[in-house]
Amino acid sequence: MTHKYLSHQGLAALVAELLSAGTRVIAPVRAKDDAGQIDYQLIASYEEAALGVRLPRRSLKEFFLPPTEVLLSYKQTKAGVEITDVPTVAPPQVILGAIPCDVAGLAVVDKVMNWDYRDELWFGRRDATTIVNLLCNIMDATCFCTAVGLGPESFTGSDVMLAPVEGGYLAYLITERGEALLKGHGEEAAADAIAHAEAARKEVRGKVEPNLAAVPAEFSTWLASNFDNPLWKTIALRCHGCGACAAVCPTCHCFDIVDEHISADEGVRRRNWDSCQTSLFTLHASGHNPRGSQSERFRQRIQHKFAIYPSRFGDLLCTGCGRCSRACPGGMDLPTIVSELVALSEAKPEVSGQ
Amino acid sequence: MNIYQPHLMRIREITDETVDTRTLKLEFEDSGLAGQFQFYAGQFGEYSVFGEGESTFCIASPPTRSGYIECSFKATGKVTQALRRLNVGDTVGFRGPYGNHFPLEEMKGHSIVFIAGGIGLAPVRAVIWNVLDLRDQFKDVTIIYGARSVGDLVYKRELEEWGQRKDIKLCLAVDPGGETPEWKGMVARIPTAVEQTVTTAEGNFAVICGPPIMIKFTLPVLEKLGFPGDRIYTTLENRMKCGIGKCGRCNIGPTYVCKDGPVFTATQMRKLPQEF
Amino acid sequence: MNELREVARKLLAEGTVQVVIGYEEGPRGVRPAFITSAEQADKLVFDTRCVQNLAAYLNPRRKQVAQLGKAAVVVKGCDARSVAGMIREKQIERENIVLLAMRCGGVLQNPEKDTELTEETVSVRCAGCTAREPKLFDHLLGELPPAPPVNKSRMEQIAALEKMSMAERRSYWNEQLSRCIRCHACREACPMCFCVKCTAEKTQPQWIDPSSTLQANRAWQTMRVLHQAGRCVDCMECERACPEHLPLGLLARYVADAVERRFEYTASDDPSVAAPIGVYKSDDDEEFIR
Repeated sequence: MTHKYLSHQGLAALVAELLSAGTRVIAPVRAKDDAGQIDYQLIASYEEAALGVRLPRRSLKEFFLPPTEVLLSYKQTKAGVEITDVPTVAPPQVILGAIPCDVAGLAVVDKVMNWDYRDELWFGRRDATTIVNLLCNIMDATCFCTAVGLGPESFTGSDVMLAPVEGGYLAYLITERGEALLKGHGEEAAADAIAHAEAARKEVRGKVEPNLAAVPAEFSTWLASNFDNPLWKTIALRCHGCGACAAVCPTCHCFDIVDEHISADEGVRRRNWDSCQTSLFTLHASGHNPRGSQSERFRQRIQHKFAIYPSRFGDLLCTGCGRCSRACPGGMDLPTIVSELVALSEAKPEVSGQ
Repeated sequence: MNIYQPHLMRIREITDETVDTRTLKLEFEDSGLAGQFQFYAGQFGEYSVFGEGESTFCIASPPTRSGYIECSFKATGKVTQALRRLNVGDTVGFRGPYGNHFPLEEMKGHSIVFIAGGIGLAPVRAVIWNVLDLRDQFKDVTIIYGARSVGDLVYKRELEEWGQRKDIKLCLAVDPGGETPEWKGMVARIPTAVEQTVTTAEGNFAVICGPPIMIKFTLPVLEKLGFPGDRIYTTLENRMKCGIGKCGRCNIGPTYVCKDGPVFTATQMRKLPQEF
Repeated sequence: MNELREVARKLLAEGTVQVVIGYEEGPRGVRPAFITSAEQADKLVFDTRCVQNLAAYLNPRRKQVAQLGKAAVVVKGCDARSVAGMIREKQIERENIVLLAMRCGGVLQNPEKDTELTEETVSVRCAGCTAREPKLFDHLLGELPPAPPVNKSRMEQIAALEKMSMAERRSYWNEQLSRCIRCHACREACPMCFCVKCTAEKTQPQWIDPSSTLQANRAWQTMRVLHQAGRCVDCMECERACPEHLPLGLLARYVADAVERRFEYTASDDPSVAAPIGVYKSDDDEEFIR
């Protein structure tokens, strides 16, 4: 991997160049409704970006899988139905200053989106995007990225990582796409800047690690064989089933497909975010519901994230960002739940619900 | 073209099976596609009424009959009610074929017992016709089909045809109380009908589809007869949206009905968590 | 607090209830607790961080809670009004629940962040509270704390909205509601949303399109807030649940104020007092229909 030094002015110049070339730039900015909060948003100038202030309220997911998107439009004519596809090629965009867990989330979701059938809408946006993440130093007590195989210094999913150094940033050029982005920008990095950034990468890990011990590899197997463990009956008592956790989660990707009329003869088919926490999610037309209670729905959430997804794709479906805990109105806390389950799995490895 | 884009199909024929169950015969608008389209018995698709949405059903016609597909559905929800309002010549959308299928190649040279209840005959019918179209490659064919009442039996014309064929052993049954004065078939529930019709499991395959309660009580009968669990095949259904493993709702524990199924053996079914 | 623990312990020990739904210290502040044995009663806490409306767990949709058996629930005066609403609307039966009602001196707006109750930190919903001493209870607990400071921010917001022209107000709400993602977390967290089948989920006909377009978002939030008119107790669980941080509490309060002006009614803690939404009066002012 190569490095470059990028001064604050250098980064500003890069952003200005991108914007003037018509590239969309998405960065953390101060939330419109609450200046104390941060949201990822399109920016019109470098000055709008609020880098490394605090965890953005929502993940990057919406820029790749929008809460609602048109899959096709149709028109009824006398001769039949005409359908119009939507473009799968997205305009170029750069994400600047994203936190590593959000970026890693995209790489995790890539796997299901490419599972035998390639979701061109997702990958159209992925392919059009260059990601510059920022070494995370905005963790709090709810963060647990280091427990799920990532870290505040993780390169996963990123093209360039910026680590703050004197006067600007040390840029790690992780991919060719990243190198291309910084072509003609930045200068050769001094050895002490590299040393400083490397030290910072080690230091930030240490700030998250105490929050939750690393989830052991055997945990997935234990979960899978404890599907019928009575613990599921009581684990989700305080869960309202509102699905706010899924909305803010960088890896929750489940969706619904619906048709909507625009007029009597025209309409659209849309894909909308959905959540396994609502009862409608699995309800059959007959009225039968395979996941009829919140206990079963919460079990699905945990199983999907920590057993099913890893068994299919190798990765946990969780980046440890902690947003689900922060968003939950019922005080469900994923790191606590995971640590309790892990403790249970280690205490009684022979217990099996089968 | 994205993966959620359906093919356009025209309704060529409508057959009312029961008061609320209907079969549509669909042909591809694009004749080039019609020639290329291939599937296997047991696979499913997403059928859509534009403006109303998509619904998941199996392909009820056999792959041995090309140029068209059929689907049978009960009008219960928004999409199926809308499908019912369509006429011959109207356009519907179809995405598929998706999922795995019945192992026809493996079944060749063996006898097969088909067991179905109610509208559960739809996926089984695809296999039955597939086998009948290649009749000389299979040994004995036994069909045991039942419904709550005579009025609930689907594919009545085909039942009649099967009844007249010498190379098929057909047993029709209705639940006690569901018979009419003219009814000549059995008055029994499916497990009993199977007990009285099937004598040996030796070298046989069983294909069974119907309401969960029927499957639950018929599997022990088949196992008692000596059918090994990996020679009993069934299909499962769950609410689906994408049909291709992305929308995240049809899984039973770690098993995705859309990708790992919808066809499962009894052995596989027994290993599934009780979440369906 | 000791009194609360004492009563809870006794109720559980004597088998009067199988679960006490209250508050406990959690990993991130106070969280709902489900105490099922007398020994655990000491976990219960009650203070200004207890913002959650635990009446939501009596909602029959919470099957996982109902399975625990008969419940006692810790309520503030405002929460008791939700309980009254659920009794009024035949969702629960009075004799099947035990109400541990706390005298209340206000709660925080952001218990994650603040500790002291001040004009800035006290919940906006505590302004003008008339239920600090709950009237619906089985056990009335605690000393009555002094009245909390008044956080005027929401009243000022409402006054500002009132001053706006119709077009300005529409544009304000359009901007807010355009952010709705139709996850319906507001509904799921609401103690008073217990319809077996929500209008948003009725598809034949499809009353409200399910996608998060401005038009559908407006239809959804308008429908919800109108159905809450006179029923909402201003607990703001909807706003706390909203992952998009929509000002749903403000919207609900705006409608509640209108109900108060037109019908001289605020959500009552007396289950026998009917709410305007369920009452027909021949002398109702119906100028909005004309």
